[in-house]
Amino acid sequence: MLYDMKPWQWVKHVIFHPTEGFEDMRWKKAGSLKIAFFIVFLLFASQVFSSRYGGFAYNTRAYSDVFNIMPILVQSVAYYATWVVSNWSICTLFDGEGNMRRVAIYSAYALVPFIIGNFLSTAISYGLTLDESIWYTAIYQVGLWWSVILMVFGMKACHQYNFTMTIVSMICTVAGMVLILVLLALVMSLFQQVYVFFATIYTEILYRVRS
Amino acid sequence: MKIKKLFCIPIAVAAAASVMITSVSAADPYTTYNYDAWWNAVPSQSGYEVIDTVDSRRIGLEALADPSSEFFISETEPTTMSDMKDFFITDDGDIYICDTANNRIIKTDIDFNLLACYKYFPGSTSKHIIVDDQGNETEVDADELKSPYGIFVDEDGVMYIADRDNQRVVKCVEETKTSARILTEYYRPETELYDSQSFYCTKVTVDAAKNVYVICPAVNKGAIMFSDSGSFVGYYGTNRVEVTAEVIRNKLWRKIASEEQIASLTKATPVEYANFDIDKEGFIYTVTEVANVQTDAVKKLNPAGYNILEKTADNNSFGDQISITYNGTTYATRLTDIAISDDKFINILDYTSGRIFQYDERCNQLLIFGFDQEEQRGGFNNPNAIDTYGDKVYILDGRNNDITVFGLTEFGRYVHEAIALHNQGLYEEAYQIWQEVLKRDGGFYMALVGTTKALYNQDNYKDAMEYAKLSFYAKEYDRAFEANRQEMLRNNFTLIVLIVLALIVVWIVIKVLKKKGKIPQKLIATGVGKIADAGKKAAESIVSKAKKGGKK
Repeated sequence: MLYDMKPWQWVKHVIFHPTEGFEDMRWKKAGSLKIAFFIVFLLFASQVFSSRYGGFAYNTRAYSDVFNIMPILVQSVAYYATWVVSNWSICTLFDGEGNMRRVAIYSAYALVPFIIGNFLSTAISYGLTLDESIWYTAIYQVGLWWSVILMVFGMKACHQYNFTMTIVSMICTVAGMVLILVLLALVMSLFQQVYVFFATIYTEILYRVRS
Repeated sequence: MKIKKLFCIPIAVAAAASVMITSVSAADPYTTYNYDAWWNAVPSQSGYEVIDTVDSRRIGLEALADPSSEFFISETEPTTMSDMKDFFITDDGDIYICDTANNRIIKTDIDFNLLACYKYFPGSTSKHIIVDDQGNETEVDADELKSPYGIFVDEDGVMYIADRDNQRVVKCVEETKTSARILTEYYRPETELYDSQSFYCTKVTVDAAKNVYVICPAVNKGAIMFSDSGSFVGYYGTNRVEVTAEVIRNKLWRKIASEEQIASLTKATPVEYANFDIDKEGFIYTVTEVANVQTDAVKKLNPAGYNILEKTADNNSFGDQISITYNGTTYATRLTDIAISDDKFINILDYTSGRIFQYDERCNQLLIFGFDQEEQRGGFNNPNAIDTYGDKVYILDGRNNDITVFGLTEFGRYVHEAIALHNQGLYEEAYQIWQEVLKRDGGFYMALVGTTKALYNQDNYKDAMEYAKLSFYAKEYDRAFEANRQEMLRNNFTLIVLIVLALIVVWIVIKVLKKKGKIPQKLIATGVGKIADAGKKAAESIVSKAKKGGKK
């Protein structure tokens, strides 16, 4: 049965077989980068959906007029990218077997339950009162922790670690993400200043040329 | 003659029209605004308008220097008020004005006809020696006031005057038209509990048990409370310290620092409150004047000195929400005086902007009026005090030396009527009036809230949900939503059960047919098969596309 699965069937297989699914996928060299990127896009879409929609009592912020897409973009796409880069960098040092392509695919596949939980909880908040918020929270939390478990087994299979090593590498990955994001912010502000410097010189020259 | 008459009519009509136009366009010299659910300032209708401005001449203070008048004091007595700091309006409509720079108290009736002017205060029990901050001893000139800063008058007409530079509070009653006999004096408490050297009292109020509450700006432990006999009882209603980053840091340092280091740390002290008022039920309301203090800015104190607004108020921010920097000066709200009107509206005076903020008893923002352009009517330079009589609001200006009287507009009257019903829980009765308010200002926050509650009580849940969204009131929305959902389920119960049953039946049929091998041709003719086919095709195309992507 594993021999004739189509790429999208692998996603289903992996989600419902957390422990073996990723090992199977690694053994069969399955997993599509395109599907992975599509999942990341869905992650972004689900974040947008949950911040812009939902029952009024659950998400009053969605009904005020200010919406900024940048934080959501950072919270989905940027976090994912830094996770992949950081995990690959850390695990290369820790004798992990996964290459960056695999890290990207396995991490993305692991995100699917979270995305579904996000969409579902936002959707059912249209039909719930605040007293019944337990359902909303439950769906969201189930999706989240399912994804966390998948992520652990995904990384375990990807790098062929034992369980302890997987957890250690993931904690290091999060630390690495923080480091990368801080450095990025620093670099961006530096480039900003360089840009301002050249812009000032440009305007200065313009003034002198004109006068 | 006839022609003349005919000629006159259009002129008369034109004249009448022009009068009407001017009366219609007689707008306030400022843009009235209000706060919406997000605390943004949005333009609104004026709830109050200036109906009178009263200066010294209107009161008739010339009589004070007129030997033939019963109010005659002396030839050189100033005939204008100057730098008035406080005034008080009794329930009977007598107005007592602290003419601070002229050291006298002026009493008028509600129409500002002069009734008395107290210059002399005989009957001081002792020549009291007071000590100022430098340690210089001076003897009190007990017969006259010296910068009276605050006044309170009880229901018997007994005046309590904060005689600031004499460092005493005077309790006195009228003797003649120009003098009042002192009954009791309240001096600096001779106790270790009172650790300030001076007793520069500025405001005074008295409760039903004749306890006297005095505010000294140098004392930050609350109001100084005296019993009727003049003995010191204690402090009343201390403000709390506003928690800032510095306060937290110092608190942490205190745990680890040595005693010398602790001594050098700045102590976290609460800010004193600037003014107070007492309502009909005996609750004392206080305001804190220090700019940008949100903690305890406005308090309603019970007899034990606890702030009960914390539990009962719908809103805990007062005055303007943001401070504005303009031409290098920062203008922040400074709440200088508070007045509780008979129908329980809380009026707060902002010294900086000259605005009056009116709240209902649950501190919901209702109306904002007044401004700080002193050259114009309704504008203030040194707005020092506010008081109310009936539904009118009186503002005392210590630089313009006048009193401005604000009266309700039609809009303001609607708001007052509606909120009174609303706070009694008579939402449906208030509904029509809120509609009148919404006609004039479609974004009036309390009107939206009131309409929401009224519609909910009328079982009109759909509209209640709409209005809850407009007023951004999640809790009320949730209530209406729950009721609406329940109603919908109840009305459509049979339909829902039928649909669920039908779905189950269809599901079972499909299962059975699938078990048999295939879906028979007959079903395709009914359309179910067609849909199934289309779905299959779509799924296949997606699969093949994904396959292509996977292979790359």
